[in-house]
Amino acid sequence: MKKVFLQPMTVRIWHWVNALSFFVLVATGVQIRYRDIPNLATFKTSVDLHNFFGFLLIADFLLWFAFYVFTGKIRVYVPLNPKKFIVGALRQMRYYGYGMMIGEKDPHHATPEEKFNPLQQSAYFMVMLILMPLQVVSGILLWDIRMFAGWIAMLGGLRVVDIVHVVAFFLLTAFLFVHVYLTTLGRTPLAHIKAMFTGYEEVEENE
Amino acid sequence: MLRDESREAWADMSIKTFACMFLFITLAAANPCDAPAATIALLKNAGACMGCHNAKDMFIVFGNKEKMSVTVSERAFSNTVHAALNCTDCHRTISLEGHPGKVIGSKNAFLREASAACRSCHSDDKVKAKPHHAYMAERADTPPCTECHGSHGVLSVARWKATLRGHEYCLTCHSRTISKTVGTSERLSLRIDQADQTSSVHNKHDCSDCHTEYTADTHPVKTFADARTRSIVISGVCAKCHEDKHTAVRGSMHYNLSFRVGETLVSRGRPEAPVCTDCHGFHTVGAKETYETLSGIPCRKCHENIFAIYAKSVHGMAKARGEHRAPLCASCHFAHEINFTAMSDKIKAACLGCHEGIEAVHGRWLPNAELHLAAVACAACHAPSTEKGIYLQLIDEKTGRPVPVDQMLQVLGITGEELSGQLDAHGQGLDSYELAYLLRRLNLKGAGAKISFLGKMDVMKYSEAHQLSLKKYAVRKCEDCHSPASNFFKKVTLAVVKTDGGIDRYRTQTDVLKSIFLTESSKQFYALGGTRIAFLDWAGIFIVFCGLMFPVVHVTLRIFTAPVRRAKKADEAEKGKKS
Repeated sequence: MKKVFLQPMTVRIWHWVNALSFFVLVATGVQIRYRDIPNLATFKTSVDLHNFFGFLLIADFLLWFAFYVFTGKIRVYVPLNPKKFIVGALRQMRYYGYGMMIGEKDPHHATPEEKFNPLQQSAYFMVMLILMPLQVVSGILLWDIRMFAGWIAMLGGLRVVDIVHVVAFFLLTAFLFVHVYLTTLGRTPLAHIKAMFTGYEEVEENE
Repeated sequence: MLRDESREAWADMSIKTFACMFLFITLAAANPCDAPAATIALLKNAGACMGCHNAKDMFIVFGNKEKMSVTVSERAFSNTVHAALNCTDCHRTISLEGHPGKVIGSKNAFLREASAACRSCHSDDKVKAKPHHAYMAERADTPPCTECHGSHGVLSVARWKATLRGHEYCLTCHSRTISKTVGTSERLSLRIDQADQTSSVHNKHDCSDCHTEYTADTHPVKTFADARTRSIVISGVCAKCHEDKHTAVRGSMHYNLSFRVGETLVSRGRPEAPVCTDCHGFHTVGAKETYETLSGIPCRKCHENIFAIYAKSVHGMAKARGEHRAPLCASCHFAHEINFTAMSDKIKAACLGCHEGIEAVHGRWLPNAELHLAAVACAACHAPSTEKGIYLQLIDEKTGRPVPVDQMLQVLGITGEELSGQLDAHGQGLDSYELAYLLRRLNLKGAGAKISFLGKMDVMKYSEAHQLSLKKYAVRKCEDCHSPASNFFKKVTLAVVKTDGGIDRYRTQTDVLKSIFLTESSKQFYALGGTRIAFLDWAGIFIVFCGLMFPVVHVTLRIFTAPVRRAKKADEAEKGKKS
């Protein structure tokens, strides 16, 4: 077994702050939107927490974006070679749907340069470079609808911005379940999670 | 001695009696009506009467014990228009023989009898020719001529008028208890209390400044259906000086609801709606500061139910305690430009007018305070026990103004009745399809207008908006609004603004705000938790369910295929041993 340094400190800090913010934002978002279902906090507390962790998430997102852009690591999210991406994605889908069931080895070998398999890459690309910016922008617009009235009108009105925010919320929440599950699909169930604390992931020597 | 005195007295009496008799015969022979000015010398023959009646303390006692001075000032009389007449020209039944003669029952009877003599010169035709006389000439209770013209001080009309200032001429009659019948039996007092007139801000005006058709020379006979109609018509004259106020009134709901001031007839609507004189009075118009308007009394005449609600409000109770700054009707609705307040910011402006800086106060605890204050009526939160609801109003996005029903009818090419029939044809309230369809038709056919819905949270009965409560009872919990279970979302109404500013209400189904069909058209109304789209909720449940099911299905497959992997591992281990 050998240890590979996959998660730099900045990424690890970003990840756990992001995870905490995500959790609070989902919980308070549900509490705000579905006032009549759970009643864990008052509406005002929920809104205040949502606003606070929303801005924390935005700051964290900017940290992540700056780190990945300035280090050039942003390319791990972007499928630069479409042919390689498609082939790799099909192979990875086969693995998750069949190969894994019959005990085949994971076709993707994580390295600092290719941290994600093609499916992870496309999923995180969607999440980090499309859904998150949409969620951040729509969230900021909804935070002060008077200040951003012009922008909101340009985008089709308050309810349209709300729909964007809510649909992104549903997709991100759905992704959360998948994401947490996928973290258990490492060499051991806790291998990926441990790596996000230590930065190092244990991989087999022959990998 | 006694005999001499008696002889002298008798001689003296005989001379006086003879002289009086001679004078009476002479006077009676003259025709007073034809007496030329040159015959003024004859008046000297009245010396027999004046010999006694010039004394200051002469009185007559009538049968009913009334007492009246019978003193006549010779000097004053000689200046009157009747100076050429003799006493018996008017006092025809009086003669020296039987003087003072029979006992007359009352002062009034005496005056009537004396006034009857006026008619011997002033014929009925001549009297009736004067319009102000025409009213009275035929009446049984017509006051005697002397009531207005005086008795021995009658001046020529020209001289008399010259002595009177404008309204004094009119008050000669109208300060007395006089009245007329309007309509069939309604009695209308025509008496003016001079004290009222004197204390009025209009005391410098002549009567004819307002009663423009009436002068010292003209007194037209006017008939009205009733006293109210007369008041309405007369109020029109206020515009002559108070054009600005009159313009404001012309734009008010009272004007539009009731009549057109200045027209001779009440043309439509409800004549009980107020006119100038209802609040300001007729001849008692006071300074602005003293208006009874502020007491709300004129408003109470029709809006008693509002006063009952107001009395229990924080404002009503403050007023009852004597706090003069506490608002009453005109404080919020204003005095002249009273109009419909539904779907307008007029009342809010009135609230903010007194509660200065209240936006900042709300901003201390209420997120997006300015926005809340724009979309939620003050009463919606500050009259907590009222029935709440949401009004959807059709707004032209380009102008930001409500689309009035007339414009809707024009664009749709239908009549008002057809529109009413189409809106909520099934009687269960407009549903989202119908609202969306209405909007689509308006925007398709509209002349370039972009129409959408704007929502406003308010009380459902505007009368209850007067039930404002203490601050501590106001709605303050966000959950009271931001929840589908909120009272606000239980009643949704389509409010169509009428041309006069009023609104037609059409009930809508409560779930219209949750419909995806109205997402675009109601984009300007959004309340967290309350306007969430039902379809989106189901879509969300599906998306999150899919996300949740991915690991569930995958784990399940892994569990089911675990024997395959174990077998493969064992096989590989076997192969490893062999190799």
